[in-house]
Amino acid sequence: MNNHATEASWPPPRSQWLQYWSAAPAEQAETLAAEIAEHCEVSDVTLPQNGLGLLKLPDSALNDLYFLGEVPVSHAHVEVVAPDGTRSEGGARLLDDRQSLARALAVLDATLADRLPKHEQALDLLNTGRAAVQQTRAERNAILATTRVDFSLLGDGSEDDDE
Amino acid sequence: MGYVAIKGGEKAIDGAAEALEALRAGGPVSGSEPLSLNAIEHQLRLLTSRIMSEGGLYHPQLAALAIKQMQGDTLEAGFALRAYRSTKPRLLETPPQDTGNMRLIRRISSAFRDIPGGQMLGPTHDYALRLMRFELAEESPEPFRKMASTFLKNAPEESLPDSFPKVLDALRSERLLPPKAEHRNPAFDITRDPLIFPVSRSAALATMARAETGSMLAIAYSNMRGYGDIHPTVAELRVGYLPVMLPHPVTGELTEAGEVLMTECEVIAMYEPDDTESARGAAPEFTLGYGACFGHNETKAISMAILDRALQKGMRDGPENPSEDPEFVLMHIDGVDSMGFANHYKMPHYVTFQSDMDRLRSTREKYQARGETPQEETHES
Repeated sequence: MNNHATEASWPPPRSQWLQYWSAAPAEQAETLAAEIAEHCEVSDVTLPQNGLGLLKLPDSALNDLYFLGEVPVSHAHVEVVAPDGTRSEGGARLLDDRQSLARALAVLDATLADRLPKHEQALDLLNTGRAAVQQTRAERNAILATTRVDFSLLGDGSEDDDE
Repeated sequence: MGYVAIKGGEKAIDGAAEALEALRAGGPVSGSEPLSLNAIEHQLRLLTSRIMSEGGLYHPQLAALAIKQMQGDTLEAGFALRAYRSTKPRLLETPPQDTGNMRLIRRISSAFRDIPGGQMLGPTHDYALRLMRFELAEESPEPFRKMASTFLKNAPEESLPDSFPKVLDALRSERLLPPKAEHRNPAFDITRDPLIFPVSRSAALATMARAETGSMLAIAYSNMRGYGDIHPTVAELRVGYLPVMLPHPVTGELTEAGEVLMTECEVIAMYEPDDTESARGAAPEFTLGYGACFGHNETKAISMAILDRALQKGMRDGPENPSEDPEFVLMHIDGVDSMGFANHYKMPHYVTFQSDMDRLRSTREKYQARGETPQEETHES
């Protein structure tokens, strides 16, 4: 989950698609999904929903399970049928209120999974999202790198302030 | 005495709402601009964090809206967020998420200098002078907007991993800590089930995770000051983004659905011979406390970790101090509960107070009928 796809592994595995598409501009994803729907038949396997999910964690001290709180969740599961009759199922579960976005990403998921028409654009959007993820990663990396403590300087002299 | 209908209440209440909005705009001559949610979310990020954790819902935009709507009242903003969440359907419960995968922006330990991966201070006020920065009063937009890009440009080029090992794992490998539980009980849902004492640790952790920061700090502080026995060392305090993994609707494979900013803290407390397994013949070990919350809120996470350790002792041996009493702690740290109770005293109590006055008059009449003269309270000027 923390292993971002490298150039060599492009396109990334399906399990990373939603992470990248979610980082791309939402309107681009919804526009592309609408364009796909013009060429293909899109139907809902389950109705798109939005609501909440309980976030469950094991506490890292003693390993007891507890709920930290709730997160917004939207969910979509669609079937896309291409003009040549190829059928593909796609789905999305996002920490986001927008079920329209979840449905759009589910359409992209189905399109890319079986290389349906316009899957190239879905791949391009994946690349856009990956760049956004990498930018965010670089920003966090910068925070860590800038604030890393160098204790070796303290150890050189006799002024250690260890307790 | 019965209830008395009055005229004009609704009009006054409508007027109060309008007055509130007028003051939010700063009055007729303020010329202030409405706050954008984006500005609140980022420039008041610690406040937004607090509202999310106390509201029990990770939703930065709605937390920012609640802050705006409630004009900065943290208790009311948390209340609004909880009210919102109560209107939404529950779609799922996530699989257990591993906080070892947090993408960190801050990581410190007061137990060891050299922790695997190193210590990174991240964004913190810890080392800043608490002196007013008057230049912020007249901040120019241009340099403000460039701040982030300048920071990035000047940052040292160093490739760091996304996640880091836990400090506790090193101690655990030396068998200085209690082992992790192998069999875990189901997590307790405080949003659906009432707290009936004795409660599980899972219920206590969930209650504290959405408790009011100041309330938790106050009770934890009582323990630190002497009404308790914890002398904690922060094994690790970390702030970062937890990737939330949910099953893909088609493949079932765990897929990242988004990420959640959170703060997590583990404290180590000194063992005591009669306070650990050593009393039962096992080797003495350190004891642990755990705290976590949505957003970046270190005071809350540390307070929670201290209270968790105190409550473990109270649950096991019986409470010797208020901070070790699960009922005392867990029933008094919820901001919505306590704020609601305190503020309900502002509501009309005309009938009950009339009854109080009647009883006082009646008692006085009985005194007089018995020939006793109640001693009048004297007031010195």
